[in-house]
Amino acid sequence: MTQTNIKNKTFVDLYSGTEDFLLPHTVRKKSVNLFDKIKLPDNKTENWRKFKSEPIFEHHYSLGKKLNVDTKDLDSLSFFEPSGNYVILVNGFFYSGNVKKPDLNNNVFIGSLKDAQKTHPEIISDRLHVQNAKTENYFSVLNDAYAKDGAFVYVPENVILDEPIYIMHFIQSDNGNIFSQNRNLIIAGKNTAFKIIHTYHSLSSDFSFNNSITDIFADENAQLEYYLFEGEGNTAAHINHININSEKGSSFKSNIVTFCGSAVRNNFYAEFKNEHAAVDLQGIYMPDKEQTVDNFIEINHAKPNCRSNQVFKGIIDNKAVAVFTGKVFVARDAQKTDSAQSNQNLLLTDYARIHSRPQLEIYADDVICSHGSTTGQLDKEALFYMKTRGVPEKRAKTMLMKAFLRDVTDKINADRYREYVNFLISKRLKGQSPESLCAVKVCPSC
Amino acid sequence: MLKITNLKAEVDGKEILRGINLEVKPGEIHAIMGPNGSGKSTLASVLAGRDIFKVTGGKVEFKGKNLLNLIPEERSREGIFLAFQYPVEIPGVSITNFMRAAVDEHRKHKGLDPMNASQFLRYMKEKKALVELDAKLEGRAVNEGFSGGEKKKNEIFQMAMLEPDLAILDETDSGLDIDALKVVANGVNKLKTKENAAIVITHYQRLLDYIVPDIIHVLYNGRIVKTGGRELALELEKYGYDEIKKEADKRF
Ligand SMILES: Nc1ncnc2c1ncn2[C@@H]1O[C@H](COP(=O)(O)OP(=O)(O)O)[C@@H](O)[C@H]1O
Ligand SMILES: [Mg+2]
Repeated sequence: MTQTNIKNKTFVDLYSGTEDFLLPHTVRKKSVNLFDKIKLPDNKTENWRKFKSEPIFEHHYSLGKKLNVDTKDLDSLSFFEPSGNYVILVNGFFYSGNVKKPDLNNNVFIGSLKDAQKTHPEIISDRLHVQNAKTENYFSVLNDAYAKDGAFVYVPENVILDEPIYIMHFIQSDNGNIFSQNRNLIIAGKNTAFKIIHTYHSLSSDFSFNNSITDIFADENAQLEYYLFEGEGNTAAHINHININSEKGSSFKSNIVTFCGSAVRNNFYAEFKNEHAAVDLQGIYMPDKEQTVDNFIEINHAKPNCRSNQVFKGIIDNKAVAVFTGKVFVARDAQKTDSAQSNQNLLLTDYARIHSRPQLEIYADDVICSHGSTTGQLDKEALFYMKTRGVPEKRAKTMLMKAFLRDVTDKINADRYREYVNFLISKRLKGQSPESLCAVKVCPSC
Repeated sequence: MLKITNLKAEVDGKEILRGINLEVKPGEIHAIMGPNGSGKSTLASVLAGRDIFKVTGGKVEFKGKNLLNLIPEERSREGIFLAFQYPVEIPGVSITNFMRAAVDEHRKHKGLDPMNASQFLRYMKEKKALVELDAKLEGRAVNEGFSGGEKKKNEIFQMAMLEPDLAILDETDSGLDIDALKVVANGVNKLKTKENAAIVITHYQRLLDYIVPDIIHVLYNGRIVKTGGRELALELEKYGYDEIKKEADKRF
């Protein structure tokens, strides 16, 4: 191990003597070697300048055990319907315990990626490691090298599902800090339509670091809605990679709520593989205390006639830091590209920070590309107006903040989940701490 | 009900109100007229509690209380209502939710329980009918994308919801066509009782054909320079503000 990457031992040592990795041996070998050389991102690393990786290395980790999660204990996650179709992972490992088997015909698969490698070998090997080299970074390589399991959702051609599919990850430590990796694969076959609710939670309060990759394929004319909820406690770091491959005529609609986590980094990479596809990314983040939320978005308009839209809104409290980078690349022959981007932030204190930057690289000439970023405090005129009607300052502020997020929350097209998100936002805006709201055992209706 | 004594206020170190004296009794309608920039809206804002205006002297008593000691939301709950010259747009906050919060807070102040949802909707429907507010407005965000006339009607609707003791209407007539003006005036007249009072701020006498004041004041350069009855409005209509301005400029 090279001198610069002495920190890698934090992770590599955890895996000595273990096997059963997810990626094929040849790919893994490359990743293991690359991991040894690749630089840990710091404040000089392009695209990572504002993200502080250091605290992740201040801890000793274990991989945790395959612990039990009783779905009866998930009452507080009111969006979750145990009668629905779901896959649960604990510390990155598929949990099969008393989880009921997905009740689906049409050859839909919802379960462990590791298991599915046996039942769906071709489908998976074709798609498991097609991630564009451009998105490669220290953490994605770490995942390539050592990930052992994750969720696999496969919806074959022409299947339409009305009820959402849940992918739920839990961190649960019996003793000490957990390092968890998961690698998820979602395949929306040709002409499919369905929703995924993908959530991350902690069941314990020890420090944890979760390094995730989710590869998503929206095949021809697939209509996929993807709701991501990041609610690991405030002693949890999460680096999340989401890679989207959009085929002809497909639509990928996504909403990301980052609610908890000491440091959360979301790396989105969407690539248009063919024409007439659309990608909508919407996000909300509400960091408090000394949390950091860093959204890095890259959209690759490699083909003409595609549409992308990014709308990210943040309410940043206390000394929290938020970062938003929206990168849009439009290839020379990607004519008729329609791309919009908006990032709006409210800073609630003088110490709260936002670093917002659009990065447009446009090589085609017949395109519409817009971007806008605003940062401010609550509208003082509106506040005064509301107060003159007898509404006290605190209540007026809460109403204005909810209103600020409303156009994003209103677009969540899964009722129970939207209600859950609105509920958390209300509580949060009324002053309840994120960690108490993210604790899975809290009783949400009281 | 309201007693203003030698009220002085400034913004950014610039004196705008230079000693206002005004007394409003229950049942009265006062009109405040005056050229643009004379301080009419400033007076209204100071009474509503806008903090960008600094009160540098004088007193304001409202129903026996020192009004200047109250924050804006308390003034509202005590019974002051300001219909804004430029009502503020609040995207994402529906009129229903906004009024729900306002009515809740007013009731809490009076020691009443909040209305339940169906009571509230009935109450709102009643008030909407009273001020002839278009039903379509209620699902929309407060003032967002409203026409000038809709905004003004919405102010009167809010006034109807909150039933203030003292309503201050700041240029509620400006930008209205004659039909809208009649609707707005009609609303105000319907809400008028022997117990409550109104201050109607206007630049033109047109509104005063529909809302008939008991007393008219002319505000100029931060002072009330003339007070009279209805005939004062007709005089101003005929001769404009020039005479009054000249006279006042000589005096101060
Ligand atoms: N927020 C402000 N900042 C600076 N000057 C102001 C502000 N509001 C009003 N003024 C000034 O105060 C004076 C009176 O304004 P205003 O009360 O709006 O007059 P009116 O309503 O009679 O037309 C004007 O000279 C105006 O420019
Ligand atoms: Mg004015």
